[in-house]
Amino acid sequence: MITIEGLRVAYGRTIALDSVTADIAPGVSGLFGPNGSGKSTLLRVLAGLLRPSTGTIRIAGEVVDMKSEQLRGRIGYAGHRSGLYGRLTVMENLELFARLYGTGRGRVRDMIDQLDLRDRARTPAVELSAGYQRRAAVARALLHDPDLLLLDEPYANLDDEAAEAVSQAVMTWRRAGAVAVIATHGAKKVKRYADSGLILQRGRLIRHGTYEASGFTP
Amino acid sequence: MSAAGFAGKTRALIAKDLRVELRGRDTLPPMVAFAFTVALLLAFAAPAPPRLQEPVSLPVGTVPFIDVAAAFLWITVLFAGLIGFARTFEVEEADGAIDSLLLVPLDRSGLFLAKAAANATFVVVVEAILLPAFALLFHFDLGLDWLNLILVTLLVDIGFVAIGTLFASVAAQTRSRELILPILALPALVPLFIAAFELTADLLGGGGLQAVASRGWFGILLAFDVIFTVAAALAFEFVIDA
Repeated sequence: MITIEGLRVAYGRTIALDSVTADIAPGVSGLFGPNGSGKSTLLRVLAGLLRPSTGTIRIAGEVVDMKSEQLRGRIGYAGHRSGLYGRLTVMENLELFARLYGTGRGRVRDMIDQLDLRDRARTPAVELSAGYQRRAAVARALLHDPDLLLLDEPYANLDDEAAEAVSQAVMTWRRAGAVAVIATHGAKKVKRYADSGLILQRGRLIRHGTYEASGFTP
Repeated sequence: MSAAGFAGKTRALIAKDLRVELRGRDTLPPMVAFAFTVALLLAFAAPAPPRLQEPVSLPVGTVPFIDVAAAFLWITVLFAGLIGFARTFEVEEADGAIDSLLLVPLDRSGLFLAKAAANATFVVVVEAILLPAFALLFHFDLGLDWLNLILVTLLVDIGFVAIGTLFASVAAQTRSRELILPILALPALVPLFIAAFELTADLLGGGGLQAVASRGWFGILLAFDVIFTVAAALAFEFVIDA
């Protein structure tokens, strides 16, 4: 469970998030909203990569604090950019992060298979197409089987087949007690397996709840 | 986390930085090219040096050539190092890998050590090329006290890399990192490099380590290394999470 209380993020005079309060239950939540509505900012705050101006976030009752190694190790985050080292191959990137998270090499092969990256495993990340970079980024985020998965536009630049691989990987990862928040414009893709949704507009949370209860049509 | 886990993760990050550099060659070649060009220019600009072995009687108020050459050497290392340090976090920033790295369950001191170790490798490679080049161009005799010279060089490198890596992390968060880094780092590095000039000139002048140490610069160098390495490692956490 993620508890967000009175969250406000300001960049100078620009208010990116304002008075966001929500409880995000275990399961997969879609995060929707137009460009500039604060989706990426909210994910970065949830990951602890950005400090809010005011407000708090609790993950399973624990206040998000980047100093906590244990908490960091429970978060899987894939942002707008790939988060990979361009000069390293996909395999080398995943092996590096597997080592940093103390995950076995078997898990690297699993993720490469799940995200259908086999024929690009030996390709330097910088030479990958945008779609393959997205898939590799999702693989990296899922590598250590996190309790909290935060994906920012995981379907960007993906064809239908690749998008399906991403959805399948998230569904395979899904388990009791774990929380995923997936920010996307491709609401239909997420709706297939999401339990709830949040809609942001101009930094404010305008709708939040389960798909049935919230009543919004992505 | 256990010490072995910490060491293993730090080693993995060092290996990553060196592998990225081996493939990209983005940092070391510019450092070496800069250092070698400056050495060459200084060699042509300087008056013909007397050979160290020859006894030199200097008029009052004249600086021995070896003092000037030692200063040339370290100033070249200083600016070549700053060129490399400015790129310390470029590999992390390029595709947002810094976010992935910041979420890794590793104490920030591990990140600092890994970055500092990679920077130290680059500086040592530059010095390994530069020292013989200077010896050739400025007629140093490295055979006189080369072990002590290496010891002093490594001690200077520790403080240099600690300060450089810390301020590189500060500069990385600004738009004009190449400008900000020297502005921040140079004032902090002044005592270290004065000690480096003095110790190197003494050693090349045939002073020997005991005589050199008795002048106090060796103690200043050691104190600088200890204080600034610890301070930089502690401050890094606050800078990188800012």
